[in-house]
Amino acid sequence: MTLRLPLPDGSAPHVLVVEPGPRASETVQSLLDQGARVDVQSPAPDARLVDLAGRRLITLHTEDDLDTGRYDIVLRDPLRAAATATTDRTTGRVVLVGGGPGPLGLLTIAGLEAVRTADVLVCDRLAPLAALEQAKPGAEVVHVGKIPRGEFTPQEQINAILVDRALAGRRVVRLKGGDNFVFGRGGEEWNACVEAGIPVEVVPGVSSSIAVPALAGIPLTHRSLTQGFVVVSGHVTPEDPRSDIDWDALARLGLTIVILMGVAALPEITARLLRAGLDPATPAASIADGGMPSQRLVRGDLATLPAAAAAEDIGAPAVTVIGPAVSALLPQA
Amino acid sequence: MALPVALDLTGRRVVAIGGGPVSARRVMAFVEEGAIVTVIAPWICEDLTDLVTTGEIAWLERDYVGVSDLDGARLVHTATGEAAADDRVLTDADTVGIWCVHAGDAGATPVAVLARTTVSLPDGPLTVATHAAGDPRLAVRARDAVAEHLATGSVALQRSRRRDGAGWVALVGGGPGTDALLTIRGRHLLSTADVVVVDRLAPRGLLADLPASVRIVDVGKVPGRHAVTQDEINAVLVEEALAGHGVVRLKGGDPYVLGRGGEERLACEAHGIPVEVVPGVTSAISVPAAAGIPVTHRGVARGFTVVTGHEEIPSLPSGRDHTLVLLMGVAGLQRTTDLLIAGGRDPRCPVAIVERGWLPDQRVTIATLDEIAATATAVGVESPAVIVVGDVVALSPHALTP
Repeated sequence: MTLRLPLPDGSAPHVLVVEPGPRASETVQSLLDQGARVDVQSPAPDARLVDLAGRRLITLHTEDDLDTGRYDIVLRDPLRAAATATTDRTTGRVVLVGGGPGPLGLLTIAGLEAVRTADVLVCDRLAPLAALEQAKPGAEVVHVGKIPRGEFTPQEQINAILVDRALAGRRVVRLKGGDNFVFGRGGEEWNACVEAGIPVEVVPGVSSSIAVPALAGIPLTHRSLTQGFVVVSGHVTPEDPRSDIDWDALARLGLTIVILMGVAALPEITARLLRAGLDPATPAASIADGGMPSQRLVRGDLATLPAAAAAEDIGAPAVTVIGPAVSALLPQA
Repeated sequence: MALPVALDLTGRRVVAIGGGPVSARRVMAFVEEGAIVTVIAPWICEDLTDLVTTGEIAWLERDYVGVSDLDGARLVHTATGEAAADDRVLTDADTVGIWCVHAGDAGATPVAVLARTTVSLPDGPLTVATHAAGDPRLAVRARDAVAEHLATGSVALQRSRRRDGAGWVALVGGGPGTDALLTIRGRHLLSTADVVVVDRLAPRGLLADLPASVRIVDVGKVPGRHAVTQDEINAVLVEEALAGHGVVRLKGGDPYVLGRGGEERLACEAHGIPVEVVPGVTSAISVPAAAGIPVTHRGVARGFTVVTGHEEIPSLPSGRDHTLVLLMGVAGLQRTTDLLIAGGRDPRCPVAIVERGWLPDQRVTIATLDEIAATATAVGVESPAVIVVGDVVALSPHALTP
């Protein structure tokens, strides 16, 4: 919503906002946009008001015997009434929503409902962003995208955003790609909320580790071929000192191997599996942008996959699958 | 006055005047509809540049000059940001008898692109569009309300005309059992099906809302009793689809995680029946989550394995930082734990058994690897249950009060 002050443009009025509600920062922003100087009176300012004052966007008054005569306008926060119907300090909570691999259709009904009722949405780059169209008007959207080797928001900061907004009485949805708990750092977010005394819920998602191969026609298990699968992160090479994956064990298991975040290290990973004795003819595939219109699939075997993936320009986000199940299904005409 | 009509723009020429975001949004919609689009504008925004680069649209880098710019167009869209310029395009279009969208003036435009929502159904898309004279925002609100009903499955979408040939089969992962953990796509397809072939562990609550005309075929497998065989299930899917029905195969979890979805797909495709696979929320990951157990956690577990059988167990990674998820493992638990310990896993490694995950009577049993089998027997653990082995179990709130 937009607040329009009944004053000519350029008059720079001095405005006092009293009784600020949980969406006071929106009120303040709207006033600042019109050139106002803004003071806020609140006996118990929340973290967001303190933050605004700290950034010198407002002057904060905690005393209640303020001389209102020196202001051009004294404004009771107009977003307060609307907001308190659904949000106050007692309703603050966090819902961790697994958004699935990207298409809106693979978000769960529970996930969609959480998005629709959220006051704040904290989103990843790979979350089903089409769902945001169904968020409440005025819901705050915070993008905390992690672009590989690029801009990112540290996890500690994401945790702090979730906690701050929930403590201000807002219903926060953490919307991410895939499932929260499959390399999604959902456990850390959960713990941060619990430590801050904030109610937190989990809505599991369709994991990309399973759905991306499925959408490309690759089942992870197939009777008579394999009755299980292993999911590991390939974000560091097997030779990296930070790597703690038992590649030898994976090579002898006979289960389907799924590697997430493994585009850059693919040549090293396949070489390591070959050295561990896995058959070079083992079927293997990489899928980029799974489930999206730009989805690309490269099939080969353990020996040929890295070169084929490079030739097809397979980039993150991608899922690699290795094992006999890769060729279990005939490609659909 | 406004009569809603549906235009098939495939292969037809559309001219868009203006290169800003409003124009871009509409041009993308026209391109998606298969139109041949020319944009006329002295500059264009990034979204349009992308379409020019990929050759999906043509761009004339100049201002609109007059009626000659509209040659061959069936539809004109003007959004220059200048009311006078848009008015002129509209006047010219009216003169030569071409329909024109005047994007900046909801009151004056003779053509409006309606707010719409499209559900892609196996037999073709269903589109609902809304129009509110002079008030596009109201139309959007009404559209959202309709879209919500479609997404939540409260509208029956069964086809009203008989199909000429075969129907279709959709293998839908229903998630761990609660209705709300079905996907939006799964819900759409369920509203569309003539026949639903359902497992014991599928989200059965949804079936009650289906119209009486929808046939439910129950192939639920109860452990220890005679079950419908996989061949019989495949035969039902094929037979129903060949009879011209839309068939949803609704399963618990995910169709391709120990769900034999691959076999069902092959059986259908062998008869030329189109198959759509809708991944689901797998129980292997979501049922541990219901007990507050993440299968991976920074510093605690960097990977996980999901298995049913026993053959693989001796060679599984034995580190406590590699999470092991056992499905259908209640019956052979003692043997499994013996094999894991023999394979090098720490007998003190924590184990959780989650029964009836996400359901109101969910139960979580936690013990160490060397004690879990005895504990499970003592408390009377039953299928269906998901067993999690690894240090991540200690992260569960249930682990605090074993």
